[in-house]
Amino acid sequence: MTARILALVLLGGLAALDATPVAQTMLFQPLVTASLVGLLFGQWLLAVKVGLVLQVFAACTMPVGSRTPEDYATGGVIGAGTAVLLATALPFSLAHEASAFAGVAAGLVSATLGVPLVKWQRRRNEGLSRWCEDAVRAGDLGAPGKAAAAGIAMAFGIAVVFCALFLGAGILLLTPLVRSHSIALAHAWTIAQPLWLGIGLAHLLSAFVQRRFMRAALFGVGLVVGWILLLVVA
Amino acid sequence: MPLPNRTLTAMGLRASLLQATWNYERQQGIGWAWALQPALERLYPDPARRAERLAAHTAYFNTQPTVASVTLGAAAALEEQLATGGAADADAIARVKSVLGASLAAVGDRLFWFTLRPFAACVGIALVLLGAGWGAAALWLTYNAVHQPVRLLGVRWGYVAGPAIVAGPLRGRLETLTGALARAGALVLGVVMAALMVPGGQPSPAGFQMLLAGGLALGLFTAPRSRPSPTEWALMVGSAALVIGWRR
Repeated sequence: MTARILALVLLGGLAALDATPVAQTMLFQPLVTASLVGLLFGQWLLAVKVGLVLQVFAACTMPVGSRTPEDYATGGVIGAGTAVLLATALPFSLAHEASAFAGVAAGLVSATLGVPLVKWQRRRNEGLSRWCEDAVRAGDLGAPGKAAAAGIAMAFGIAVVFCALFLGAGILLLTPLVRSHSIALAHAWTIAQPLWLGIGLAHLLSAFVQRRFMRAALFGVGLVVGWILLLVVA
Repeated sequence: MPLPNRTLTAMGLRASLLQATWNYERQQGIGWAWALQPALERLYPDPARRAERLAAHTAYFNTQPTVASVTLGAAAALEEQLATGGAADADAIARVKSVLGASLAAVGDRLFWFTLRPFAACVGIALVLLGAGWGAAALWLTYNAVHQPVRLLGVRWGYVAGPAIVAGPLRGRLETLTGALARAGALVLGVVMAALMVPGGQPSPAGFQMLLAGGLALGLFTAPRSRPSPTEWALMVGSAALVIGWRR
């Protein structure tokens, strides 16, 4: 179990790297990280249930302009990780749904709390970039490479520590809550899951359609044809 | 002598770390200088001159990170002119870099952040809801099918076309792709909604469908407003559901 938890926090670090400093390949998207967390702990279905909700919100959160978006890289890992760790500790069916609710809540809160941390990191990078320019002017042509390595190491380290602390605190606080109030949390999941999916998908729909009739019609076609095919094929 | 493919490839690979030191002061400046360094090493044999040009490139720069490769290629073409005594001068390079960055960011943001990323997410979500275990892999592959070629080949496109690339056919092609992906995204999103309402061919419980429709209506109402953000709405809805769940 210790090795798996270590792998979980390291995944948080890798996701944070993929989000901004390195490559931006979308490895950090909650559906991807949740699938990996699920495979790691043998709880794929639960992890993906949490990952789906976090994914719709991550997909409509844009890293554009001066706004620092919510940090769904660590949020996705923390959300799915919290859910699977709780469900592993409390293996009864109501706790499964309660863990899913607690996981999504932990993911959303950590994604929001991650914003000041990302801003702090970016401010630290200002000093790094000033040092880099001075070093280059002094003839150190390797300075940009060293600065990039330092920026990557800092982003990885901060994300790993954040994931470890948040997961630790989350499990400590949520385990007794899920154990004693699993029915209430399972009810909350039944209510919140469709609402969350609806809100997130509506934001995506709005981004795609942009008040164009043809695109709205295509959404309708996908809905009707998908509905019919699912009913007929299944 | 023109820059060899090896140098352009090295620049494309280094562009992956463009945002390694992203900060509020210079944004992608340091990453940009590091990505351009292979070209500067070939163009300026004199270390003092090379250091001067590298230092100039550590200044403020920002664009959408994938299309930055195209700007890198165009800047390398201008640096080549400067190094060989051509028409370009240092100030012109700084201006062109800034204009190209802003102009391509407008196209790149729309394509990669507003359209391709949500589209790839929808493909992944749809596959998971339809019972495929490889939805996450599909999300990753869908995004990278466009992202990686532009990042790696974009340097060559920019180098060959120079600053004129912004007025060339590339912009039109990227905009056409954006429109096509938005249309495909709307279609896939319809399938996602269908998969939520009739999972595995069995209609979801009425309560689930009503709440899904309620969430959709709330989302469509809130989408044009920047505040509260979708995440803040999610937190509010989660808190309300917790209160209701507790009272039942």
